[in-house]
Amino acid sequence: MNWTRRQALWAGGSVGTAALLAACGGGKDDTASSSADSAGGTPQKGGTLRIGALGRASATTRDPHGVQGNESDYLIIALVHDTLTAPGLKDNTVGRLASGWKSSDDLKTWRFTIAKGATFHDGSPVTADDVVWSLRRLRNTPAGAGRLPGIKAENITADGKDTVVLVSDDANAELPLLTRLATFVLKKDTPDKEIAKAPGTGPFKLDWFRGGNARLLRNDKWHGGPVHLDAIEVTMFESPQAMANALLGGQIDVASNVGAVAARTAASRKDIQVTRRPNDMAMPIVMRTAEGPFADPKVREAMKLVVDREAMVKQVLSGYGTVANDILGTGDPAYAKDIPQRRRDLDKAKKLLEEAGFDLATTYELVTTEDIAGLAESATLFATQAREAGIKIKVVKQESGTFYEKTWLKGDFYTNYWGTNDSVVFFASKTMVTGAGQNEAGWSDKSFDDTYRKVIGTAGKKARATSLRELQQIVHEKSGYLLWGMADGIDLASAKVRNLPKLPGYGRVQLENVWLAR
Amino acid sequence: MSEAETARAEAATDEVAASAPRRAVSLAARIAVVLAKRAVLLSVLLAVVFAAIELLPGDAASAAAERGESPADTAARRHLLGLDRPLWERFGDWMTALPTGDLGTSARGERVTDLLSAPLPNTLLLGGAAFALTLASALALGCWAAARPGGPADRLIGLASTVTLALPEFVVSVGLLLLLSLWTGWLPAATMTTSDGSPASWTMLIMPVLALAVPQTGWNARIVRGALADQAAAPHVIAAHLDGLPPRRVLLRHALPGAWPAIATGAATSTGMLLGGAVVVETLFNYPGLGTVLAGSVADRDTPVIAGVVACTGAVISLVLLGADLVRARTLGARP
Repeated sequence: MNWTRRQALWAGGSVGTAALLAACGGGKDDTASSSADSAGGTPQKGGTLRIGALGRASATTRDPHGVQGNESDYLIIALVHDTLTAPGLKDNTVGRLASGWKSSDDLKTWRFTIAKGATFHDGSPVTADDVVWSLRRLRNTPAGAGRLPGIKAENITADGKDTVVLVSDDANAELPLLTRLATFVLKKDTPDKEIAKAPGTGPFKLDWFRGGNARLLRNDKWHGGPVHLDAIEVTMFESPQAMANALLGGQIDVASNVGAVAARTAASRKDIQVTRRPNDMAMPIVMRTAEGPFADPKVREAMKLVVDREAMVKQVLSGYGTVANDILGTGDPAYAKDIPQRRRDLDKAKKLLEEAGFDLATTYELVTTEDIAGLAESATLFATQAREAGIKIKVVKQESGTFYEKTWLKGDFYTNYWGTNDSVVFFASKTMVTGAGQNEAGWSDKSFDDTYRKVIGTAGKKARATSLRELQQIVHEKSGYLLWGMADGIDLASAKVRNLPKLPGYGRVQLENVWLAR
Repeated sequence: MSEAETARAEAATDEVAASAPRRAVSLAARIAVVLAKRAVLLSVLLAVVFAAIELLPGDAASAAAERGESPADTAARRHLLGLDRPLWERFGDWMTALPTGDLGTSARGERVTDLLSAPLPNTLLLGGAAFALTLASALALGCWAAARPGGPADRLIGLASTVTLALPEFVVSVGLLLLLSLWTGWLPAATMTTSDGSPASWTMLIMPVLALAVPQTGWNARIVRGALADQAAAPHVIAAHLDGLPPRRVLLRHALPGAWPAIATGAATSTGMLLGGAVVVETLFNYPGLGTVLAGSVADRDTPVIAGVVACTGAVISLVLLGADLVRARTLGARP
């Protein structure tokens, strides 16, 4: 779910207003954003957290296994229902409804143990049957194959009361990662009609839901430990700017994933905390490797040398981001930080282009969309930078629907985005291995495929780390991805909010540890 | 206009017959005919909406798809949503279910009536308040300007109404937000809702209502002023003047009644503009209304939702237009 493509559709919506509103942010000494201690102190119990999240009234859904285009819906669902595992800070995957997991030696059979004392909100205990039913329901949705790849519905079974067995078609050392996102557990045989009101197992229970807004109450019996807040009120906002206004006016306490523009608006306010969650969004430029003008690895390397990464981060992301090194999966604890950072080198780029016989007389079209804020701007700025190396690039903006129909997975040269803190292997399996369903660059490389199989088939930590490093080296050198930077996820909060999640991607919905200072 | 003429003819006949029950029957029949005409018009409009969405690139299945989906998955979703059936068949199904109050199911599987149950009353509240404010202030300003034709007030109101009618709701909204919320903190910037889906406080309505009413007031004030100017040249008004009646009385009792048809038509046109402007205003103020639903559903090619919104707003606009027609019929018909 952290890769639904429309999750940030509205983020670009009201940049116009923002520009006007930014002018009125109160012009006092406005260096860095306030950094009221966001984690310090002893947690206090009680209080209602009023949180704003983006969403569109027309796209609301209550089905935990449906397509959640709205962040507000996902937030509500993720607070009411538990997934088997969850994103973690130190380990990429930590337990949630599953307290532990173990694999067979061939890394195909995985056994998940349900956490002790886990109950539904109506008091009934969570059984393996409930989990199996839920995972199968998830698997049988139209997007199911993408959500639980490599696991057939019939290969999800129960073993006793508290063990769920998943058998993967291939060896997969990172299978638990797949159960982090949409594996919300419902009671077995919950009819579709009652999904909206069905009890979950999460840290909060639903008080009411209306038109995308909801009120949630603390679940005192949550298996995951004490929850501090009495209640959470979720308000859905159509535009990030309206959400930022509500925060500035004290109508809400947290503006979730509100974006860089709003963060700039709020930067001069000392009483507002700006939480930056690094490695939240990748906006790579994709070059087709199978055929076309970028098929020669020298050309691709040249393009990667042409980009001025610092300028991209500064201008496209307003500085709310970090420079990246053409390897996807920057949030992975196993990300290879030791591979030297590629920097701008126009001379070397020109030389490589000459060697490859790249036609500098042609104008190349770079296709982009305005699906998320900054995406089209990144294409335009890159085109300007490339001109300095004598490469002529024309930016073509496509409407989202057209883009996914005509350009995505097919085009020679386009921008795309992934909202993620997923692993290096996740990207390898989804977008780079030969024949992968979303092989965006049409890449097929024997040494890469071999290394990939070695990685997912190796159980030993150390041997796996070595292969993983090797895999990233190949991606860095040859792949069709020009990943210039990573955008931060940005939340705004009033001063009294403590312990907001720092994780990128959907790690931000874990609000059970948040508390309010008084 | 032919309706108005028929009405005049009918009213005239009635006058001769002077039979109250017959008049009532004929009025009811007339309303029924007009309603039927409007219903046909609405169905045609809905057919056009269905066809227009079909012409947009992409469809609800691809719009609601996740990135992990294969073409086969999307095809399955398309089948699930019935998008693989011919357009006229889907339209027919949707239309036949309409009289039972069933507006179909959204691309995400939610019932459209559920999606619209909270936003529709909210938008009617917002639009109704803006409509009332527009009408009241336009009448006041128009009359004030007409009372002293050519005077400074007349010229000032003329200029101001031209400026405001040219202002997009977007600009008015941002100005109001800056002034009344972010600088002064007098009014809440965003609308929050309670468990029943309605705004948590009436103060949250003030700015959205103003943002919608200001441009429309400019438009309607000009119409009121113009209609009164026309009436000022009418013989009976001139006669009233010459009789030495006070100007105020001439304006309100003699000129204004004749101006009603034009004012009613102008106000009725405003209904469409108010509901259209709601798309922008509701987003900026986070007001939970139909406008936001419509904007999102167009992006998603979610035909049943779009058609549901069009049906609801179309019905409202039709009713208002009917009201305007009745005002015309009454006014024009009453005078033989």
